[in-house]
Amino acid sequence: MSMDWLLLPAGAGLVAGIFTCRFPRIWLMATFAGALAAFAAAVAGLYGAAWTHDGGAVWDWQPGWSLGGTEVHLQLDGLSAFFLVLLAVLGGAGTLYASGYWTDAQHPRTAPTGRAWWNGLLLSMGLVLLCANGLHFLIAWELFTVCAYFLITQERQRPEARAAGWLFFAASHVATLCLFAFFALLAAHSGGWELGPALRAHLDLKPLFWLALIGFGIKAGMFPLHIWLPSAHANAPSHVSAILSGMAIKLGIYGLMRFTGWLPVPDAAGWVIAGLGVVSAVLGVAFALGQHDLKRLLAYHSVENIGIILMGLGFALIAAANGHAAWGQLALLGALLHVWNHGLFKALLFLGAGSVLHATGTRQMSRLGGLWRAMPWTAGLFGLGAAAIAGLPPLNGFVSEWLVYLSLFDAVSAHGPAAFAAMLAAVFLGLTGALALACFVKVCGVVFLGLPRTPVAEHAHECGWRMRLPMLLLGAACVTIGLAPAWFLPALTAAAAAWQPPVAGAPEPLAPPALHDPAAPLALLGAFHLALAVLVTAAVVLLWRRVRRNGVERAGTWDCGYAAPTPRMQYTAGSFAAIITGWFAWILRPVRHTHPPAGFFPAAADFTEHTPETVLEEVVTPVGRLVMRLSAAARALQDGRVQSYILYLLLGLAALGVLAVIGGAR
Amino acid sequence: MTAAFDILLRLAAWLLLAPLLPGLINRVKALAAGRRGPPVFQLYFDLAKLWRKGVVLSTAVSPAHVLGPAVSWVALLSAALLLPVGPAGASLSFRGDALLFIYLLALARFCLALASLDTGSAFEGMGVAREVSYAVLNEAALITALLALCVQSGSVSLATMLAPSAGAGAALLAAGLFGVLLAENCRVPFDDPNTHLELTMVHEAMILDHSGPPLAAILHGAALKLLLFAVLLTEAVLPLGQWTFWPALGALTVSVLLVAVAAGLVESLLARLAFRRVPLLLTTAFLFCLFALLVAWKGGVS
Repeated sequence: MSMDWLLLPAGAGLVAGIFTCRFPRIWLMATFAGALAAFAAAVAGLYGAAWTHDGGAVWDWQPGWSLGGTEVHLQLDGLSAFFLVLLAVLGGAGTLYASGYWTDAQHPRTAPTGRAWWNGLLLSMGLVLLCANGLHFLIAWELFTVCAYFLITQERQRPEARAAGWLFFAASHVATLCLFAFFALLAAHSGGWELGPALRAHLDLKPLFWLALIGFGIKAGMFPLHIWLPSAHANAPSHVSAILSGMAIKLGIYGLMRFTGWLPVPDAAGWVIAGLGVVSAVLGVAFALGQHDLKRLLAYHSVENIGIILMGLGFALIAAANGHAAWGQLALLGALLHVWNHGLFKALLFLGAGSVLHATGTRQMSRLGGLWRAMPWTAGLFGLGAAAIAGLPPLNGFVSEWLVYLSLFDAVSAHGPAAFAAMLAAVFLGLTGALALACFVKVCGVVFLGLPRTPVAEHAHECGWRMRLPMLLLGAACVTIGLAPAWFLPALTAAAAAWQPPVAGAPEPLAPPALHDPAAPLALLGAFHLALAVLVTAAVVLLWRRVRRNGVERAGTWDCGYAAPTPRMQYTAGSFAAIITGWFAWILRPVRHTHPPAGFFPAAADFTEHTPETVLEEVVTPVGRLVMRLSAAARALQDGRVQSYILYLLLGLAALGVLAVIGGAR
Repeated sequence: MTAAFDILLRLAAWLLLAPLLPGLINRVKALAAGRRGPPVFQLYFDLAKLWRKGVVLSTAVSPAHVLGPAVSWVALLSAALLLPVGPAGASLSFRGDALLFIYLLALARFCLALASLDTGSAFEGMGVAREVSYAVLNEAALITALLALCVQSGSVSLATMLAPSAGAGAALLAAGLFGVLLAENCRVPFDDPNTHLELTMVHEAMILDHSGPPLAAILHGAALKLLLFAVLLTEAVLPLGQWTFWPALGALTVSVLLVAVAAGLVESLLARLAFRRVPLLLTTAFLFCLFALLVAWKGGVS
């Protein structure tokens, strides 16, 4: 089969990259070629799946090797090919970016090892998507976590990076623990490690869903389980943040989609996922508004967008459980498209933030400002990404949110059991959109517009073409999906066809619904977007020429008559968000340090405010402290005296004896 | 061919009629205060003059300062094209265009906000921060209103959603949408278009540094938005789609005029609210829409 000839070189290129990590050029060529081959394979697989329309595997590879006692089995179907496309695009873009961003000249110690771990990360994420065997899935999953850990801690001389890496490692292993239990129970009940739609028949597997939800939910960063995400994404090198935020957390979504499509799920599953989605979306963006660190802010937006994806997935599950496939299908398509879209624009934004960090050496927004002069490309592309993530037409973010909205509105007008929940979800989705818009107005305005607030911002420089090209590529992808969404519909339906949750009571998989065909409105939306883009261009040209013709005079900014304004008097990110963070103070719990001016001749005064990670500091840390205290108390038992241990032995024997007597009596 | 002609005709109508509304409101305010007031067509004169004037740009601004108003104006105009005009229906209509309408308003807000922040002035920062924060509640109210209309009509397309009346909850919906109209268009009691104190302004603070043709685009866009909301309010409440052509057109005109008079009277009779209270009033508008939704919901179920 032709797919072998694409996936094999993809893997070979990535492996070759690991061994040539000391030679940046050879590494770049090998890895980029590998990503290209993977992209070709994934697109071929996706369109192959669209052609067959049955949701089955388009590539199946069983070489007869055995690993860990079970046979290696790799498989590509519509859903995994859909995620593989995103992995290949982000992997290729990140590889190119890394070659200009994390160079040997600037990071002689970590650059070569970083390249090796990077390839390991791409390879293991690809394997997670391909494995059709539970044991090998777990191995690939663990490999991917380890690679990500070493990438996050590349700057390990900084304590924050070490702390972030540790938190990521700990949280990931809680997730892996749940997945170990999940796969082990799955294998024990189904009698083998093989994964696939055949598992649908085992109705007793329903409760396993909760283990999968925690395991994959931690990785995806859904709200109460997202504690590791902000610090890990903020402290990793930017190309790593881009792939972590764009792809790695999507593997959590992939896991949820995969196993809700293959396993019978409890009746509450859809409701819980949708509820977690709503909470993640609203609170993710609320926390983002409270941040002053550019990359940390972007990381919280990942929580928000994961929430939107989960909303789509949750309502798709609710629809499947209730037999209303029509709007469920729309919700699923919206969730799937948002997986791609969020991957594209979030990677673009993280790469833009990386360029800012590279040029100024700081992530603190209050030290930046006016960067558009020095970095016009980065500013423009970051602005594009910001408009896309805020869900504005005519860009891609709007298309996927629109699909989710359509499904919610259809659910409401269908008057089914989900209608009331759909109403709430739609209102909260609207709230999320407006909050995200406020947040990105803040980011773009404070970082790129206005005047430089500090000398580092004044002496910034534009990034090189190796960093600019990947951003251009991702920006172009955002615009293309926005202007021609109908082109991507076959890919979406191919991925959706592979997701056929077993419905309670009716073991037959759902037929692909013909009603509410999204094709027609999607094409019309694309046409409208295209017309909007043309009109916008025309209006911009018209106004620009008019301004030039009428003559331009330069003057200082009007500051209410004040004659000597300084850049330090500009509005700050904190003041900008203060109104909204005030509304959310009940959960954000901002920490304020105030030294107000006092007396007749006040000395220096200051005011700082930051928003901590509430769930981590108010829930996880206290619980951890309690566990540590209990453990310390238990340690008193082990006092090192032989007499005590003999006493424990006697007590143990006595207890066994009592148990035996009681057991015998029964 | 006729479709293109139809769209052009609508565009011309929206463009030409929009600046009339602020003039009417000003006339109502003047009459209520016992003044003569500026002519009703004052905004037309202002726009013509601004279009011909030179531009004073701050030394801090980027091209976004000029591009923002252009994009924002186009976004509002495209939103107007999606809205059905009473008996004539909409020229562009497809499933889900109601959501596109809301997000086009958001696009306009985004571009204008960035164009304002571009100047680096703290006053513009304040104005933008207030605008985008209050918009969060407005957007929730608008989505709720659309949900109510969707429940009522079973459709997600503005043309069919707005054709019948809002049913039993019409009065609630009208109250909610009128609140959103006042807030989105920066009228009293949310914002005072005539204030002279930069510290207390919302929309006016955002455009302090704009001049010449970009300012004309902003002012015309603001007028367009006002007309947009007045038409939306009218059509959400009255079943214009079920009437014949001339009565429907007449009702639309009269009702839009009534909205202008009401906005003018509110502006004459009420003081603007303290900023701390604005979110409360906006939440009230949202609740009106929510109750309209619940009424529509109950009506649909029973």
